[in-house]
Amino acid sequence: MTGSVASVSAGAFERITRRRGRVRGRRQTSWALVALFVGPSLALYVLFMIVPFIGTLQLSLSAWDGFAPEKTPVGLANYQALLGDEDFWRALSNNVVWAVIGTAAPIAIGLALAIVLWSGAGFRTGFRAIYFLPVILPVVVIGLVWGWIYNPLFGVLNTALEAVGLDDWSRGWLGDPDTALVAVLIAAIWSTFGFCVVMFLAGLQGIDLNLVDAAKVDGANAWQRFRHVLLPGIAPVFTFVLTITLVGAFSVFDIVYVMTRGGPGTATETMAGYAYKMAFNRNFAGYGSAISMVIAIISLVLAVALLRFRERGRTR
Amino acid sequence: MTAGGIAVSRPADRVRRRRNLAFAVAKYAFLGFWALLCLLPMILIFSTAFKDPTIETGNPFQLFSSVRFENLVDAWTLGNFGRYFMNTIVIMVPVVLGVVALSMLTGYALARFAFPGRSLLFFGFVLGLMIPFFSLMIPLYYNLRDYGLLDNPLAVILPSIAGAGGTGLPLGIFLMRAFFLDMPDELADAARVDGCDELGVFTKVMAPLALPGASALAVLAFMSAWNTFLLPLLYLSGEDSRTLATGLLLFTGGRTQELELTAAGTLIMIAPVVLFFLLFQRQFIRGLTAGAVKG
Repeated sequence: MTGSVASVSAGAFERITRRRGRVRGRRQTSWALVALFVGPSLALYVLFMIVPFIGTLQLSLSAWDGFAPEKTPVGLANYQALLGDEDFWRALSNNVVWAVIGTAAPIAIGLALAIVLWSGAGFRTGFRAIYFLPVILPVVVIGLVWGWIYNPLFGVLNTALEAVGLDDWSRGWLGDPDTALVAVLIAAIWSTFGFCVVMFLAGLQGIDLNLVDAAKVDGANAWQRFRHVLLPGIAPVFTFVLTITLVGAFSVFDIVYVMTRGGPGTATETMAGYAYKMAFNRNFAGYGSAISMVIAIISLVLAVALLRFRERGRTR
Repeated sequence: MTAGGIAVSRPADRVRRRRNLAFAVAKYAFLGFWALLCLLPMILIFSTAFKDPTIETGNPFQLFSSVRFENLVDAWTLGNFGRYFMNTIVIMVPVVLGVVALSMLTGYALARFAFPGRSLLFFGFVLGLMIPFFSLMIPLYYNLRDYGLLDNPLAVILPSIAGAGGTGLPLGIFLMRAFFLDMPDELADAARVDGCDELGVFTKVMAPLALPGASALAVLAFMSAWNTFLLPLLYLSGEDSRTLATGLLLFTGGRTQELELTAAGTLIMIAPVVLFFLLFQRQFIRGLTAGAVKG
């Protein structure tokens, strides 16, 4: 009895003297215990993340076919070669298109649906679950099904176009260099907007409804309420979603590989697909690694920039 | 005065009610359109999976024109999806157990142990969230070859736990550390007074309390391990070790041969995921939104 009282007051005292999670003033945990709790994780993380990451950096400065016993150091030659490689620029520009459309479209759709659901609709959790279904599907399945939809002969899309008399528009959507990238992008947007709905809805549910009412009383119209109450309220979620989709756009691979393998020609080639091809189909491990490093640098710079942006927004 | 007021407001009420009705119709039409768009491809898979190839002649994507349940059996045996299924389980189970157990241990240590270098270690793990798989995949291939692990399920399991593809230690440690930080100190202190050592505090008090967080993480890890594609594509290329994802790849590209077997195989692959999602929707969404909403 007295023991538990003492421990409670000791806990209270400790809480006053230090912030939760801060270790200052507490006795150091024994290294054996730390090793037991952290060791296995750290070993796996170092062996399968850090070591290969450093390996990519090294390889990108070498010429190597993957088999020769020695890697030939070539300095920045791989990166220089990239500058003059038309296929690489094509891939990079496809990634930029992907980043713009593949970020803006799901965010716009997701935000609209989340606001409608949040402002009061029946079956809210039902709708949310349905929108989320495509997000949990394996990429292979998404590629497969959309391949059927785009099928030139029997596909749902061409059948529908013919049904409404737009026969001229029907085509092999994935085989036509003019439409292939957009066709793959649409499948990708289909599979990501539900993620945006769920995230934005979670953000909206954290907004104080009194703020919204107050704005209404003050005569703010729907747009002003959206701009000055809802948008600031979901700002953390918004930057989070933006970071994930934007960074993801520069390492997109799976869905393109499944649907077109980067073709026809280089119409849907992305940096990640190009790195894969160079390293594993043509055995230019060094050159492929240089492309990988470009992806890593773009991702890290974008992620850090967006996180900084978010920090600034929070302190203001 | 009051009577007059009511009389005047009546037509206005009717207008407002009609406008509200129009608004509601527009709202549900909008919500319904996108819901239908999400469901149609699923219906297409379902309908195609049960087509009877012996009586079908016309458009193979005609919805529900025939029904043959044996397709599922054929896909499982003739289509090799039974073996793909088992290969996927062999990868998924250790990944989920590994990610959850190790994330709980390390997340706990980073939240509640006192040792120098703790923040640096946390920062190092979280950095993994920003490293794309493509900046690992090439050297990792040759590393695994040197370890003699190529074409061994461990070639997918170990990098998956480490966080190379999808939900792994970086996300898991991040989530579990936040979970353990939110727990009151008094609980641990009370257990210590009752004679628990530090290990006992974790196993008897804190870990059981963290089970809601751990289950959210487990759901995320399951989804990501079940759907993982590039890791087995690169490191498990043998015919016998294909997973559902890489096995299904053989049937992609809009091919219409053996369509019903492909669709049945697809159904076999997505059934556990969809079922899991419908059962554990709350945990799933909690895990997903945990870091983002609080900021």
